[in-house]
Amino acid sequence: MSAPGASGARQLWRRLRTQRSALVAAVVVALLVLVALGAPLLTAIEGQDPTTYHPSLVDSARGGVPIGSFGGVSAEHWLGVEPQTGRDLFARLVHGARVSLGVALAATVVQLVLGVVIGVAAGLGNRWVDLVLTRIADIFVAMPLMVVALALLAIVPTSFPRPVLVALVVGLVSGWGTLAKMVRAQTLTLKELDYVAAARLSGWGTVRIARRELLPGLATPVITFAAILVPTNITVEAALSFLGVGVKPPTPSWGQMLTSADVWYQAAPQYLLLPAGALFVTVLALTVLGDGVRTALDPRAASRLSVGTGRKQEAKGEVS
Amino acid sequence: MRQPSVIARRVAAASVSLVVAAGAAACGPEDNDAKSAGGDSTPHKGGTLTVLNSDPQQDFDPARLYTSGGGNVPSLVFRTLTTRNRENGEAGAEVVPDLATDTGRPNKDATVWTYTLKEGLKYEDGTKITSADIKYGIERSFAPELSGGAPYLRDWLVGAADYQGPYKDKKGLSAIETPDERTIVFHLNKPEGEFPYLATQTQFTPVPKSKDTGTKYEEHPVSSGPYKVVTNESDGERLVLERNTYWSASTDAERKAYPDKVDVRSGLDSSVINQRLSSSQGADAAAVTTDTNLGPAELAKVTGDKDLASRVGTGHFGYTNYIAFNPTIKPCNNVKVRQAISYAIDRSSVVNAAGGSALAEPATTFLPDQKSFGYEPYDLFPAGKAGNAAKARELLAQAGYRDGLTVTLTHSNAKDFETSPEIATAIQDALKKAGITVKLQGLEENDYSDKIHNVKTEPGFFLAHWGADWPSGGPFLAPIFDGRQIVKDGANFNTGLLNDESVNAEIDAINKLTDLDAAAERWGALDKKIGEQALTVPLFHPVYKRLYGEDVKNVVISDWTGVLDISQVAVK
Repeated sequence: MSAPGASGARQLWRRLRTQRSALVAAVVVALLVLVALGAPLLTAIEGQDPTTYHPSLVDSARGGVPIGSFGGVSAEHWLGVEPQTGRDLFARLVHGARVSLGVALAATVVQLVLGVVIGVAAGLGNRWVDLVLTRIADIFVAMPLMVVALALLAIVPTSFPRPVLVALVVGLVSGWGTLAKMVRAQTLTLKELDYVAAARLSGWGTVRIARRELLPGLATPVITFAAILVPTNITVEAALSFLGVGVKPPTPSWGQMLTSADVWYQAAPQYLLLPAGALFVTVLALTVLGDGVRTALDPRAASRLSVGTGRKQEAKGEVS
Repeated sequence: MRQPSVIARRVAAASVSLVVAAGAAACGPEDNDAKSAGGDSTPHKGGTLTVLNSDPQQDFDPARLYTSGGGNVPSLVFRTLTTRNRENGEAGAEVVPDLATDTGRPNKDATVWTYTLKEGLKYEDGTKITSADIKYGIERSFAPELSGGAPYLRDWLVGAADYQGPYKDKKGLSAIETPDERTIVFHLNKPEGEFPYLATQTQFTPVPKSKDTGTKYEEHPVSSGPYKVVTNESDGERLVLERNTYWSASTDAERKAYPDKVDVRSGLDSSVINQRLSSSQGADAAAVTTDTNLGPAELAKVTGDKDLASRVGTGHFGYTNYIAFNPTIKPCNNVKVRQAISYAIDRSSVVNAAGGSALAEPATTFLPDQKSFGYEPYDLFPAGKAGNAAKARELLAQAGYRDGLTVTLTHSNAKDFETSPEIATAIQDALKKAGITVKLQGLEENDYSDKIHNVKTEPGFFLAHWGADWPSGGPFLAPIFDGRQIVKDGANFNTGLLNDESVNAEIDAINKLTDLDAAAERWGALDKKIGEQALTVPLFHPVYKRLYGEDVKNVVISDWTGVLDISQVAVK
């Protein structure tokens, strides 16, 4: 099974490469992931950490505005310091990337697992299983995400690790309902195909059929959907932190930085612009990349691209 | 002994006193940068004063208002037996006569207080104000449907504990006598030398029985002050006051009442209020706010602008933000641990988290740093500017925590820069240097308030604050440190669970004093004595900074309210 998978990935990459915007987005995303993973290393190089206060770097008599130009940018503090606390903004921004990306990816995994399992089960199960699971999915599709997430996050005790909780709540409440419905529809289509029928006739169990025969066929729509879910989850996490129910201080996150920065937009604009810019770039890059993945996997686009006849034609195909 | 119902009201009281604090803080020239209020600084009569506020005057009934010194807007309509001295700074923390000829004549042990009304006092309809009206005004504040005021009257007046107000109990309160139209006598349970301070609250406003409309009275309360209500819309969101022609300046030495009209517009966002005051366009040039302070970011902008900086009023309200310990919970039961934390505190980063040195002053005493409270400077566990981590480690080692220690700091998630996450994380960072690992437990506002005021759920280490009902040590120290005020099954404010015979006895002794200066001195000494037990770590006293419009003159900010007094403001 590994050979077709690998060739699928290679094919995806080959098609992705032909779209310049998707390529740029992929590079940006890769960089962001590297920054997030290497946050402790990067801050160590800078010689700072995200939580230490530097009272001497802010002007206490003026409400705690950073001393110096561009919010106190210096060789020690590459992006300046936070108003009132004097905490290093570079360190907070890169550590914030870990939270934002980590929570969004973890939430996406939860959504994918739920969506695929429930969608396939509904598609393969009997009438009642299908009805119940589809209705449950409908309920979650109709649920107002922010309201439910706010309520859930407010009642869970603060001793529960917050980033994990946020990822779970976002993953459990949003996204998977639509995915499950889509997977169910695709499963119903695939189920009728000859090779699946053959597998069933040869006595395979439902689980084996699902795993061996259906999942490969579901990969394309699921990957496409995941590519759209990630940036959505990032904005949801930022919004929840902005509203004060996301990750808790002193753990930095972009949404939380935006909350405390919003009043400072006049006196210390870079404090607001940094997390806002990071959020913007990340979501944009992920969205463009997601779009590229969707185009690359789209069978209609694939036919236009004259699959398997070499790079040249593919490139041409893209232009047309 | 307080009754649970009374205690429950005190929770409301505490939260309201915050509102009062926030609602009181205004603007006034105390800094040298605020002296130039326009070319001609002489105040003249006339014009319309606009008040831009965030909180509407929902309860404009004198029975329901919980104020310190009679409030700001309410004080334009309601006169009381005594009132706060409308002067800048320290002098403004004194209590002075209002409707009465003096601040009250006590008997020998301060359990009976007698007042005589001035002559020629009239309501807005020209009828005479009598002592019976003041008695009636106080009685109706006991009616359950008109609750909201401070708990003191119920606690202090003889036989008032179960009184249900004049609607149910026509006989009235026998603790208040009115031998003639101008005399009123109060009989108290125990000596209360600070009764004159209580008589500044709006419950001491005359209410004519014939005009009382119960819960509807707040829509058009009958004025005894310089202004009467002509419009009261949307549950106090818009309030228009015009001159009460029967009010006479000759009977009122405190209210200047320069503007002809006062237009109160509330329900505004605080950033909108500050934006409108800073641009000072049109009617906003003659505008003030009585409830919106400048935040740290707004202050940073204002201080960079000369014109704006000259229109900022600065004031101090008696208020302390502190760390509270519950000495029954490990490890805060160990006095050495409490002392170590006191030494380790970095007050400069805490002050910065609260908005910087212009908005907060570091505190080492529980009492606010004002004379009227009897402030006696002390710093029992000197932490210096940035904390004394070495001394803290030493004490921890003595306490048996040689390898450091982990504690949980409980705080609220309110965005108030007082008990909020910003202050908690600043403390967390400072204690790290002393080897103390602080875990943060942030609670929603109501949950936080319920937990810390219940002896069964009170955490060991938490952020707290306390404001004064009037500028004296009594309402500051007694609720927090009087052992007989520990409440087992209700809202408890003695969070340090201190029940010290000598402290209790001293509180009783000071309450007997009618010489308020002598009492203040004893409160200050008591504060220091209690401080030795390290049951709290005082963090900072807030400073109020507020903008006012370009045409605003005669800005007066007392230490009583810490905010611009709108009875003094002129716009011409």
